[in-house]
Amino acid sequence: MNAELNTDGIERVNREFPYLNEGDVISVQRGPEPGGVGGVARTFGATLKGLRTTFARIVEGPVTIQYPEEKTPVFPRFRGRHKLHRFDHDGSGTGGLEKCVGCSLCAAACPSDCIRVVAAENDPANRVSAGERFAEVYEINLSRCIFCGYCEVACPFDAITMGHDYEMADYNRSDLIFTKEMLLAEPVERTPLRREGE
Amino acid sequence: MSQPIRNAVTLVVDGREVVAPEGTMVVDAAKMGDIEIPVFCYEPKLGDPVGACRMCLVEIEGIPKLQTACSTPVRDGMVVYTQTDQVKQAQNAVVEFLLVNHPLDCPVCDKGGECPLQDIAMGWGPGKSRMTDPKRHFQKPLELSPLVAIDRERCILCYRCVRFSQEVAEDEQLQLHERGDRSFVGTFDDRPYIAPFHGNIIELCPVGALTTYTYRFRARPWDIEQAGSVCTLCPSQCNVAFTVRDERVMRVLARDNHAVDDGWLCDKGRFGFQMFASEERITEPMMRGGGGELSPVSWEQAIEAAAAGLRRAGASAAALAGGGTGNEEGYLAQRIMREALGSPNIDCSPNSPDPALLAELARPELGAKVADLDYAGAILVLGTDPLHEMPILDLRIRKAARRGGARLLVATERPNALDGGAVVDPVRFAPGESAAFISALAGALGAPGYEDGGSYAKQAAEIAAALSSVPDPVIVWGERLWRDQGAARALHDLARALEMHQRIGTGLLEVPEGANTRGLREAGMLPAGGPGLGPVAAGRDAAAIRDGLAGGEVGALLLLGADPVREYPGGGAWKQALSSSFVVSFALTEDESTAHANVVFPAESHAEKEGTVTHPDGRIQRVRPNVPHPRDVRPTWWALTEISRALGNPLTFGTAEDVFAALCAEVPFYGETAYEEIGGQGLRWQERDPGESWVPGRGGGGPGAAAYGADSAATRPPSESGSGPAYAPTAATPGPRSESEEARGSGLALGSYRDLWASEVTRRNPSLRFLMPTQRLELAAKDAKELGLEDGDPVTVSAGGVSVEARVSVKERMRPGAAFLIEGTESDNGNVLATGSPQRISVEKRAEPESNGSGNGNGRVKIVETPMPAEGAV
Repeated sequence: MNAELNTDGIERVNREFPYLNEGDVISVQRGPEPGGVGGVARTFGATLKGLRTTFARIVEGPVTIQYPEEKTPVFPRFRGRHKLHRFDHDGSGTGGLEKCVGCSLCAAACPSDCIRVVAAENDPANRVSAGERFAEVYEINLSRCIFCGYCEVACPFDAITMGHDYEMADYNRSDLIFTKEMLLAEPVERTPLRREGE
Repeated sequence: MSQPIRNAVTLVVDGREVVAPEGTMVVDAAKMGDIEIPVFCYEPKLGDPVGACRMCLVEIEGIPKLQTACSTPVRDGMVVYTQTDQVKQAQNAVVEFLLVNHPLDCPVCDKGGECPLQDIAMGWGPGKSRMTDPKRHFQKPLELSPLVAIDRERCILCYRCVRFSQEVAEDEQLQLHERGDRSFVGTFDDRPYIAPFHGNIIELCPVGALTTYTYRFRARPWDIEQAGSVCTLCPSQCNVAFTVRDERVMRVLARDNHAVDDGWLCDKGRFGFQMFASEERITEPMMRGGGGELSPVSWEQAIEAAAAGLRRAGASAAALAGGGTGNEEGYLAQRIMREALGSPNIDCSPNSPDPALLAELARPELGAKVADLDYAGAILVLGTDPLHEMPILDLRIRKAARRGGARLLVATERPNALDGGAVVDPVRFAPGESAAFISALAGALGAPGYEDGGSYAKQAAEIAAALSSVPDPVIVWGERLWRDQGAARALHDLARALEMHQRIGTGLLEVPEGANTRGLREAGMLPAGGPGLGPVAAGRDAAAIRDGLAGGEVGALLLLGADPVREYPGGGAWKQALSSSFVVSFALTEDESTAHANVVFPAESHAEKEGTVTHPDGRIQRVRPNVPHPRDVRPTWWALTEISRALGNPLTFGTAEDVFAALCAEVPFYGETAYEEIGGQGLRWQERDPGESWVPGRGGGGPGAAAYGADSAATRPPSESGSGPAYAPTAATPGPRSESEEARGSGLALGSYRDLWASEVTRRNPSLRFLMPTQRLELAAKDAKELGLEDGDPVTVSAGGVSVEARVSVKERMRPGAAFLIEGTESDNGNVLATGSPQRISVEKRAEPESNGSGNGNGRVKIVETPMPAEGAV
């Protein structure tokens, strides 16, 4: 345990492992000896090598997108936040009615079980949907949703589609349960759509 | 007509060898070999197959054309193919044809997801339609009844609902109208289909043509959970499955149990689920404060207050259990009474049966089970109307008469729903005179000590001849016969005279008034019967408790789901009795008895309860929790153990199962029955261990026990009581109170009956409210004419200084001189007049009330009591 006798780093090792005998520790040197002229040359050499790419690209200008002030356009089939739809006012008498009849097929298809539908019977005098039944409660728990789009595939009336909105962060989990009114409301178009062929 | 012996035959289905009993249809035999043949119209519960839908076509070797598997019985050596091209082509064609007019509105249809047509179209259909023309259209949906909607577009004309109405319920209201593609199911003249069993057609419908308003659009099969339990609204104790969504019961379905209900449910059980989650339910304990108002308190306070009140009364306390009370709750209540308070005043019905005789009648060899009815040679309906008291038994008796060939006999006070099917003119004895008739019947059958004679001699001889002409008669009798002195004893003796105890497939089946009266009696809720019907010190029965409360000899009353003010005879007297005493009540909602209670505990409904009940034929069944207790409702068995603990008599039970184990330990004939053994189909204790002799419970052996137990069979060693008439026939039946002319002159003899719908259940369930009966006085045409009354006239009926208002209902097949009122109606309750013993009434016509005269009059829809078709018409 004579630390003074050693000058090549073994002393430090032995301080860390005081219970080891001197001969038990062998220092191994990986790579060139640090320090010296060669060391300095190697350091600057590697830095300049890296900077070559940087300076080569500097003429291309910045590619950073200033999110949230700027946004990347999404593809048309991007699966974002869901939308519920109403019939168009095309003069067929169903204009403005909800397309959803509350059949719950989306809830059956949902692999993460995040859709809850409670149906009710339409009042002929005050229709909500075109069929006999309508969704009295339609909730999607977006904190559970995995955006797989199965609900859209399952829907027999194209009443639910996946929108393009992906900005759903919130301060509260319960605020992520979207109700029928929220899903039916015309969403604020926050996400630019990538144009055809773009 | 005993159960036929059926030989096994061997057939080959799709190359697989299948062994099936003779007479089985090919479709069932194939199922035994795990081969499914699709069907729509085939439903064995409905009786003989009709082969209407053609879905089950199969190829049978040796027969050139395809055959319907549902209506072809198996033969030995038959070779059946269900997968050949010819069969597949036929199946494809049938599905395609069915879908020609069936709208594809599955997303809207309520049946979607649990629809046989969807499944079969998927499994056996061609996959696409060649139909391009417009489909048939009907107006949709129409109201078939206030509870059932019919969508005629969706109907595939399988006839199931029509067959149910025609051949099972025999109300004959549903018909198929028109022909060809215009055919539709409906009622005559579009009248609403009102019948006590009509809810079953919803379950029978293989498509979404028949749906119920109570479940319409409420949930999809993948939204729900389904679990089995037992309905405890009447003694039928039908096996049910509750559909639960979001912790609420959404509908009630039948759970097939051939030994209990044959897969049917009455509308009371099917639609009586809305009360579980009703706003009116009591969901926390309440106490009556100084102001006379019930106000919520904590469980600890309520238990302390209840215990304090009972402790003050001590041995003068009393307990009454209602019909829906479970075995465990009854057992605990009688332990609180007998052990903690030392009081023998316990009862579970207003009819006070004689405990020794009760133990004799409970002998396994004298009892018939429900399934015995199917093969009975003759069925005597004695002093009960199964339609009102045990509705599913009514269907079972109709089935026995229609399909089993049983000779149906009826002997009751009041016109009966089964009268029409009786092979001998139905006997009408006067209210309170059942003993005279049954004694005459016993005499005609040669029971020792009974005279063959009296005013009913001729009718009794006819019935006796019909009963003794077959080897296996079954007698279905009403609990109410206990009210008439000597009736039950004569019944016991005539059963012995018919040698029922020596034959199988024959016996007596008592129809109790409460859903679980048999279980409560066996658990010890009797004034002179402990657990296992064992003799104990005799206490007060229900009527004596009432008198004791009024007179101050009974200090406190514990009510377990009982509403004596409404449901027991002498309702007015009960009201007075309760208002002056300390009353603890376990109740589902506030009723006429909680109005006088000092402490009210919330009771559990049968969708929440864990426990057991005993069917009138001795089948122990499990009631299982399907939904959580709402708000602060807690298990009744737990509350009872806490009350007992507060009374200084700790009962250490951790679960309802523990209580059941303790009960079984005290009831010898329950033995060591375990929950697992009961399972989903129940367990008849009589069949559990056939070798074991019938041993009643030991009982408490208090001072009163010796009074009747000394020489009764109940205390004999089991070796002696194995066979033979252990209960010595007593000749001393009281002379029939023959209806003398002077008695008739003094007024009509009043009888009362329980109407199926005259109960709290009807009011608590909004969908059933339209069935709530108003009081009516049933009269024979002759009496009505003498009194100058017509059908629908408002009258005042009075007896003993009290009166109720009613409307006259002139009935056929009434005994002249008798009149009937409904018990338990919301207003003008017949129990105000009925005292439990025969009464004379005077009837006075009153002026037409203004409000009724102008409005829609007697606006409610009447329940149609469906007469059985006369024999020749079947």
